[in-house]
Amino acid sequence: MTDLALTAPPIAWSSVAPELAMTVAVMALLLMTIAGRRRMWVAAPIGVIVTGMGIALLVATGGDGSNTSVAGILTIIGGVGLVSLTIGLAGNPRILHSSIAGLGAGTALLLTGWQVLSVAWNGGGPLLATVAMEGSVALDGISLFTRITVYLSTLLVLPIGHAYLHDRGIHRPEFEPLLLLSATGMALLGAANDLITLFVALEVLSIALYVLTGSARRDRRSQEASAKYFVLGAVASAILLYGFALSYVATGSLELPGIAAGMANPAAPLRLLTVAMVLVVVGIGFKVALVPFQLWTPDVYEGAPTNVTAFMGAATKAAGFAAMLRLFIVAWAPLADLWVPVLAVLAALTMAYGAWAALVQTDVKRLLAYSAVAHAGYATIGLVSRSDAGLSGTLWYLLTYAVSTLAAFAAVIAVERRNARAVVIHDLDGVGKTSPVVAGILSLAMLSLAGIPLTIGFTGKLTVFSAGIGAGLTWLVVVGVVTSVVAAFYYLRLIGAMFLHDPPAGRPAPAYSPGWNVGATSAAVLIVFFGLQPRFLLDLADLATQLVR
Amino acid sequence: MDFIGEFIRTIPDNLVALCVAIPLLGAVFSGLLTESDDTARWGALGASLLAFVASLALLLDFDPAAGVQAVDTLPWIPALGANLAFGVDGISLVLVLLTTFLMPLIVVAAWDHADNIRGYLAAFLALEAAVIGVFTAQDLLVFYVLFEFTLVPMYLIIGIWGGANRRYAAVKFFLYTLLGGLTMLVAVLYLYQAGGAQSFAYDDLVNAAQGLSLVQQRWLFGAFFLGFAVKVPLFPVHTWLPDAHTEAPTAGSVFLAAVMLKMGGYGFIRYCLTFFPDATRELSLGTGTGFFSVPWMLVLAVIGILYGAIVALVQPDIKKLVAYSSVSHMGFVVLGIFALNSTATSAGVVQMVNHGLSTGALFLLIGFLYDRRHTREIALFGGLAKQVPIYAGLFLVVVMSSLALPGLNGFVGEFPILLGTFQAVPWAAVLGSFGAVLAALYLLWAYQRMFQGPLEGADNEATTDLTPREIGIMVPLIVLIVAIGVYPQPLYDLVQPSVDGVLAAVNGQ
Repeated sequence: MTDLALTAPPIAWSSVAPELAMTVAVMALLLMTIAGRRRMWVAAPIGVIVTGMGIALLVATGGDGSNTSVAGILTIIGGVGLVSLTIGLAGNPRILHSSIAGLGAGTALLLTGWQVLSVAWNGGGPLLATVAMEGSVALDGISLFTRITVYLSTLLVLPIGHAYLHDRGIHRPEFEPLLLLSATGMALLGAANDLITLFVALEVLSIALYVLTGSARRDRRSQEASAKYFVLGAVASAILLYGFALSYVATGSLELPGIAAGMANPAAPLRLLTVAMVLVVVGIGFKVALVPFQLWTPDVYEGAPTNVTAFMGAATKAAGFAAMLRLFIVAWAPLADLWVPVLAVLAALTMAYGAWAALVQTDVKRLLAYSAVAHAGYATIGLVSRSDAGLSGTLWYLLTYAVSTLAAFAAVIAVERRNARAVVIHDLDGVGKTSPVVAGILSLAMLSLAGIPLTIGFTGKLTVFSAGIGAGLTWLVVVGVVTSVVAAFYYLRLIGAMFLHDPPAGRPAPAYSPGWNVGATSAAVLIVFFGLQPRFLLDLADLATQLVR
Repeated sequence: MDFIGEFIRTIPDNLVALCVAIPLLGAVFSGLLTESDDTARWGALGASLLAFVASLALLLDFDPAAGVQAVDTLPWIPALGANLAFGVDGISLVLVLLTTFLMPLIVVAAWDHADNIRGYLAAFLALEAAVIGVFTAQDLLVFYVLFEFTLVPMYLIIGIWGGANRRYAAVKFFLYTLLGGLTMLVAVLYLYQAGGAQSFAYDDLVNAAQGLSLVQQRWLFGAFFLGFAVKVPLFPVHTWLPDAHTEAPTAGSVFLAAVMLKMGGYGFIRYCLTFFPDATRELSLGTGTGFFSVPWMLVLAVIGILYGAIVALVQPDIKKLVAYSSVSHMGFVVLGIFALNSTATSAGVVQMVNHGLSTGALFLLIGFLYDRRHTREIALFGGLAKQVPIYAGLFLVVVMSSLALPGLNGFVGEFPILLGTFQAVPWAAVLGSFGAVLAALYLLWAYQRMFQGPLEGADNEATTDLTPREIGIMVPLIVLIVAIGVYPQPLYDLVQPSVDGVLAAVNGQ
């Protein structure tokens, strides 16, 4: 009798370690919500279990300082943190929930750092690229850098939005779990190496975002935004899925490297592949808001609660571009002659449309929405460069954009809390005099988004422009330069309103909260620090060029 | 204590970096670290004086024949091959000295500025640090970054502390210069990529530029040229300047005219000429065929000279008059630079210093008068020489310097420029010399309307003369104006070897 025992494939937990931490945080938060007043009896045991797992990892390796034992130590930190937060903040469930979410994101960020240093580090050479889970998850530059951007954004957006949610009365227990789930989906999107994983990750992040967008239940604009985002997003997902299906038919593979191999086959049906590629451009173009698929952006950005908008702008863009980079550079590489011109033209249109449309906006969130559209165009320059410099340039650009846009929305939140309504440019009049901190942070963010030197935004523009010129796309870079000047005009309008206008009498100063102070100041510090000395993370982005092919 | 001793021992090796770092630290101190306005004032004055001392120390160690020296290099962005490299040659040094010399005077002139003095002084010190960085950068990316960064403090200075129409002027200034700067960025990146340079180091890029074809050189020259021409400013991209000057506060006008415009002239010499010698020869001497048989640079310079002078003639506002005279005078500088011979080009550099001194002094004097009268309408003044003799006397000296009276500094710059240009392209020198005539016309006419004739009107009769502090600000300027006018040789000795080095590269020797 033959041995019928099935051998389960080993699961490489290390490749999704940060997502595990996030998932544990999500589970803990959901269970705590169900447990209500007895939340402590749910959260503490989870913390103990996590700590126990960490100790087990440590014991298993004998604490020899190997990779696994470092992961064990990080797990213990997470577990102990969970227990102590639960006990220490037992009297204040709101802050407890936010803190646990922050702990989850922080641990995930630490574990990402651990992945970089212990799994992918290659002694200063390009990061090692490996696959796990039967080839469906990639551990390489794109996935690691996207994780950094996404988890950093999550970590910053949580404290910034805490008091704001409270003010608007929309701080319900499902908020943080949904935010973390969305972030997990984004991180997975950056790591997805086959079409199924990619699609599932995309849906995880999107569905959570649809709900988050509509979380201001009494606000019609929020409801409208949510409905719009959901309907258009579902259509885009369907189109994307159709494209995936066609490319599977054409190449017989779901894994991205397999698709590339299938295309290299001379017998591959080129016409079918072209249709598939067009559908994919449409679907993914919607997610990252490339013109002409950007129509949802201003409405959704305007209607969503501002901290959700900030998260959407910062992290979703990074995740969407991660998927785009992987799809086009890995899977569709053989068809580069086809998609490079298409995407280059779309990038030019996106930059131009975003810049010009933003010129006439008076609502600050809408203005930032159009600026987000324009920035999608800049990031695309790196993609269509199809070079190592372009790849690392895009990854770095997304991080710079995430940090700058978070700082910008943080300032909007501070003003909006005082206003209790949408912020128009006029509301910023004289903020420089009444509250220099908010004005300073928003100005830094604007200068950074405009790409003025000595801010992080300049280094981002520099890397993608440099990659674009290196790839012979000088015309596209010139478009980028011209639109940058146009964009500088409306960024300056905000700075001008704050510093050059006088505040109307009797208007209260923007509202601060301790969380906001921490989050917004950190974003501002990152803008300046990486503006002055980008080498640490820029070097990492530079090493992130090795892909699973 | 060892640490301090060690630090002091390293000072002589890091003078250039100190010239950049001291104002920067001063800006942080005055703007952020102190709550007291007085501490901020003294801090700013201390920082600007220290920077001046550091630049003087640099001068003592300087060897004009040795090319770029006192180089300081710190790694910055290894991924892009960019280093924080600073160093000076003769051209850089005189401009650094001009900046550090004027800065303490600017701080003192801004002393009683009421509105948020801490931020005001911090913006100026940050600007000083950036400008010194621009003049000394030996790495093109560092140069570009600082060149663009100067926009931000200047935008704030005009926008926050400026006159009634300040928003328009500030935004116009920002967008004009940003457009020029970003065009240059494309060229910088193209040069880096196309030339296959390993880094943004100046020498590397000069080598990389050797491989460019003539057509590439022309395009890149054009892009760099636009960036610098906006700064100088050269006709037809000068229109931001009169607005910026009229709206800027006194100290802002002084810094803008005396120092920031020089970044354009410096850029021409350091980058346009050395990176693209073939395109430079074509465009400035008209040695090519067809479109390139016209010496376009000289044409633009002459248009700037004459246009600025003619428009200055009809200005009712004395500050605007001086602003347009800047367009005219900077036209002389550009004329000298692109005449491409040792006499004219060296004189172009010297004239940048002279223009900085005389126009800076003019803007200071106009500021003093504005503080008293809150107007700059020439028609509202008259016969002031009787009422404010010291002021009128100083004004006359500065006006004479500005219109290039022999014996004062303007002459020793302008005359060799015309002389050198005459050797290269005679008609340009002839046309340019009309600018000198017009300068005498509009400056003396303005002087006559303001200071001579009968003293009429209660306002004019109530105008008070300069205070000792104001005289104190003017004395160093007047001393230098006369000293350079009488004995310009030391200045030429500093500048000429470096200029000759540049020209040797341009002429392919």
